[in-house]
Amino acid sequence: MSSKGYKLTKADFQQINRRNLVGFQAGWNYERMQHTGYLWIILPQLRKIYGDGTEELKTACRTHCAPFFNTSNFLNTIITGIDLALEETDGVESLETVASLKTGLMGPLASIGDSIFGSLLPTIFGALAANMAIEGNPLGLFIWIAVNIVVDWFRCKQTYIAYDQGMKLVTTMSDKLNAITDAATVMGVFMVGALVSTNVGIVVSAVPEIGGVAINIQDILNNICPKLVPAALVGFVYWILGKKGMTSTKAIFIVLVIGIVFGALGWVAKG
Amino acid sequence: MIQWWQILLLTLYAGFQIMDELHWYSSAGSAVFSGFITGLVMGDMATGLFIGGSMQLTILGVGTFGGASRIDANSGTLIATAFAVSSGMDPEQALAALGVPVAAILVYTDILGRMANTFWGHACDADVEKMNWGAYNVHYWMGAVSWCLSRMIPVFLALAFGQGLVDAITTALNGDLAWLGTGLTVAGGMLPAVGFAILLRYLPVKKHVAYLILGFIIAALLGTAFSSIVTLGTDASTLATGLNSLLGEDAAVAVGGGYKGLSMLTIALIGFALAYIYYKQSQAAPAAVAAGAEGDDDDEL
Repeated sequence: MSSKGYKLTKADFQQINRRNLVGFQAGWNYERMQHTGYLWIILPQLRKIYGDGTEELKTACRTHCAPFFNTSNFLNTIITGIDLALEETDGVESLETVASLKTGLMGPLASIGDSIFGSLLPTIFGALAANMAIEGNPLGLFIWIAVNIVVDWFRCKQTYIAYDQGMKLVTTMSDKLNAITDAATVMGVFMVGALVSTNVGIVVSAVPEIGGVAINIQDILNNICPKLVPAALVGFVYWILGKKGMTSTKAIFIVLVIGIVFGALGWVAKG
Repeated sequence: MIQWWQILLLTLYAGFQIMDELHWYSSAGSAVFSGFITGLVMGDMATGLFIGGSMQLTILGVGTFGGASRIDANSGTLIATAFAVSSGMDPEQALAALGVPVAAILVYTDILGRMANTFWGHACDADVEKMNWGAYNVHYWMGAVSWCLSRMIPVFLALAFGQGLVDAITTALNGDLAWLGTGLTVAGGMLPAVGFAILLRYLPVKKHVAYLILGFIIAALLGTAFSSIVTLGTDASTLATGLNSLLGEDAAVAVGGGYKGLSMLTIALIGFALAYIYYKQSQAAPAAVAAGAEGDDDDEL
């Protein structure tokens, strides 16, 4: 036992949460991504646990800083909380467990965090904010900020919960989270459908003459279902995104070129 | 013309927004907010909100998963808004002609910043061996400097030296190249389609296709109905004004106006209700949940 028997206090967790919210990803790099950040947010606490200037401290810091680490920056303190509970009681002897815990959890937490916080919330609230913004109303933006404040509160709270519950948390959480994520994707899909019809602003403006009669294509389409052109465009982009070697940036430029050409020819207009 | 203090504020915001997006994530690092703040600084909030909102929808599904670089919509919005206001460019054209290309070019400074941080990562390794924590802190925060500069330098250069170029573009789009201007306007309206399509690639769309159809149809029908009502209301009041000028004051016709367009918030609430029902049902039948959250993930983007 090398641990000096230091018990983490509320102030320690507040410091960890502060560091997490202010600079967890400042050191992000291509080689090992969040490795320095993981150490940086718990460095003061490790110094208290192992004591300054000890070999144990160096070993612990090396264990945290040397290997690759990358997970969701919304859920990373779950790993931190569980890790600190172990290191606090078992000191350097826990480091092997901690290292495998970090590698084991970073993948699953990354996918949960990316889908809920990195994708669904920005979709629903970002789309709402964008939609109101286009009409000149910043209110949606403030709703989004309010939601993110709640998320930040949650990010702080989970450090304590993970520290108290340890590994138990991961198993109890994953079932519930799966159900919530699944239900949230329902709302996500629904919103995308709604946004397609309200935010893709194009109509067919070409009025070809067939046998001396002008055919108003957009009028015919409106009789079938309003907003068919936006739906077709989204369907087209969805299809090209499935092509090999297609990236989102390429897709944006393809749509840009199509828009310029069709618009310049007068086939399609803003609507 | 963009004032020096506007350039200063916007350059500072360019550094701030990436820190926000990486860390406390208040949404101040989003494209809408970028448009909002740039609009305020430039003195035309509506233009900023419009460009920011359109850009936000364009990149809706583009995430930074696993550390992949994505187009820098925030800086693109900033540049597009600043020049749309200072050169009097049409917002939709600014989005397509400036916002998107700038956002795409800035992917490369993002990559440079992330690469530079590899160097600081190694410096941190060395500090751990020496247990020099003061140096560790400094080397760690040098990473934030790389992040900020990867946005601030290009934004500053564009704002400080881009005016002449943008003025020339604006003049051309309103003159000889008017056809291109029309095309860019249409392209600006089409761009959000990309965001939605990318998003559908990430969401389990095959599993939930019924909700996609519901969302589309409800919003399409209500949207059309609401905008027809607004048009009708405007027509009626125009008619009433003409009529009232012919009638005596005591016979004047009053027309209730104030019809609003479709509120997206209410549509979102319908979506929330459907998601809630879905959740309740999946809790009642736990076996159905076991299939997992991600049905058909396409991670190749």
